[in-house]
Amino acid sequence: MSTSTVRARRALALGPGLAVLCAILALVAFLSITLGSRDIGLSDVLRALFGLDGDNSIEHTVTVDMRVPRTLLGIGVGAALGVAGTVLQGVTRNPLADTGIMGVNSGAAAFVVLAITVLGVRGVGVYIWFAFAGAIIATLLVYAIASLGREGATPVKLALAGAAVTAGMGSLTTGIEMTNVDALNELRFWQVGSLAGRYAPILSGVAPFLIIGLIASLACGRALNGLALGEDTARGLGQRVGLTRAAAFTIVAVLAGAATAACGPIVFVGLIVPHLARFICGPDYRWIMPYSMLLSPIVLLLADIVGRVVARPGELQVGVVLGVLGAPVFIGIVRYGRLSEA
Amino acid sequence: MRIWRPIVAAAALSLTLAACASTDTPATTSTSAGPWQFTNGNGELVKADKTPTRIIAHAGEAAALMSFGIKPVGVYADESVKTDPNLKGLDLTGIEILGEEWGKIDVEKAASLRPDLIVADWWPAEKAHSGLEEGVDEKSKKLKELAPVVGVSQGKSIVDLAEGYEDLAQSLGAKVDAPDIAAAKKKFEDAVAAFKAAVATKPNLTALAMSPADDKVYVANPEYAPELLDFQKWGLKVVNPAKPDPGFPYWENLSWENADKYQPDLILWDGRSYTDKANAEWGKKQPTWFAIKAAKANAVVSWPAYWLHTFGHFATELDKLTVAIKAADENVGS
Repeated sequence: MSTSTVRARRALALGPGLAVLCAILALVAFLSITLGSRDIGLSDVLRALFGLDGDNSIEHTVTVDMRVPRTLLGIGVGAALGVAGTVLQGVTRNPLADTGIMGVNSGAAAFVVLAITVLGVRGVGVYIWFAFAGAIIATLLVYAIASLGREGATPVKLALAGAAVTAGMGSLTTGIEMTNVDALNELRFWQVGSLAGRYAPILSGVAPFLIIGLIASLACGRALNGLALGEDTARGLGQRVGLTRAAAFTIVAVLAGAATAACGPIVFVGLIVPHLARFICGPDYRWIMPYSMLLSPIVLLLADIVGRVVARPGELQVGVVLGVLGAPVFIGIVRYGRLSEA
Repeated sequence: MRIWRPIVAAAALSLTLAACASTDTPATTSTSAGPWQFTNGNGELVKADKTPTRIIAHAGEAAALMSFGIKPVGVYADESVKTDPNLKGLDLTGIEILGEEWGKIDVEKAASLRPDLIVADWWPAEKAHSGLEEGVDEKSKKLKELAPVVGVSQGKSIVDLAEGYEDLAQSLGAKVDAPDIAAAKKKFEDAVAAFKAAVATKPNLTALAMSPADDKVYVANPEYAPELLDFQKWGLKVVNPAKPDPGFPYWENLSWENADKYQPDLILWDGRSYTDKANAEWGKKQPTWFAIKAAKANAVVSWPAYWLHTFGHFATELDKLTVAIKAADENVGS
């Protein structure tokens, strides 16, 4: 069987697969709006959604003002984290790469405490912009440091630079925290990633970045396929490796920065979902990318739903649920799966 | 800070501490200068060959001792000593500040003070002294290796707590019959009488102790908040939450979707985060906050959460509550 027929067959199965994932995502989104820590009957939810109940009932407020933005944010942030993880694993050819080790979380945290102490700002709505700036600056810093020297930003240098920047930003944050207790208390909001307490303003604030980043990422599948063959081969095929890397890093910075700014550091989605997508799709990033984009929000929303129904009348942060559920899955992948060279 | 723990230790939520200990025994004292002893909050008798003089104390406990003229050599607080309500107006010159953040104590500096006694409340729900609980920096816990730790139990009443520290101060050689101490007690008794009278005029008034946070709302469980038990004892109907967190029973956690689970007539707002504008701000920030009718009606008052140690402080706080109770409408929440 020739390669091209394998590819054709795969496309034949993978195309409809995407449609199935879309349907599953729609179902999960519907569940995320109908299920929650508050018990609201399905008919009440539907009446609220279609505006048939007047808009001053608590059921309406919870459904429309809380669950809908939460679900949309979950979809956007989930997709962003999955895609950012996929791009990062592809561009660094490191199957363990995720946004955390590229300094995104530590950069966001450092800028939030700086904003609190130096500029004296307060409020979640303001923090997200500093978190965003911090995430982007940290990622670009990692890239810039790794680019120094003759070979440019090689995977190994990227990993080292990521670790160094993370440590640097971390000590900056700790240093400020030690002298400013206020900053510490405010920062706790970010310590565990969560979709709770984020409403329409935060969603509309980060949505443009998420949308642009996601669209741009769909265009880099081909380039990542080239890089996966190794740098020299990619160059031999006529690819401009430096440019590809720079573009990929910009996308990661925007996506992961916006996601982290909105919800705090959410673990495991960006690490595990790319492996899942690769397992389904094989090595072609043109398929891996859209699969990651749909699988990640499904995973994130499901974890969030679990967190909302297991601890009524309270709820567990999605970061905690993912940590608890994600660890065994990841160990499974490492132990039994082919942890394929990304 | 008892609110931050559940956030810090969120991952350990399932970790269930053993239920309440019934070890609250009244403190006993010995006034002799020679061998010294004091019954710790957990019921154990702590002994020393001579009366301790170099004391390191947690903020509120330090304030209590200082009100009887005993000055510690070092203090550790859960927040900045400038904002800690216990330390307000106290002269801290000559006292080493060993920590200004929950869970972080500079034990090295503490060791250099050569303490012979550590004074910190005993928390029966956590079976630990202030600053040495589950969740603090492991390094902080080494404080207990420097000297014996004693403290009065955060048990069933602030009155017991204040009297316990009076006993401790007395055992350490303080005179507890100074006129200003008697005056504080008188002020407290007057405040309690006024509080009871105000409550009596509103037999249907219900109150709920709350602490809103960015991702959930915490509802206090009076069983582990001695001042709330005192309020209940004096006639105020403080609502007992139905389902306190089994791992951290100080609170019931409500998601913001369930913020209106209880409909009190008056909200006792965690004093550590209360400001005059807080209610309006949370109403703007959280779509469901004003679904609590009392919040909508701005029936909120600062609640001295988990920090009171002296009759003087309790009197001041009670007076504020009495004003709010007089102004409250007992039918808001119904």
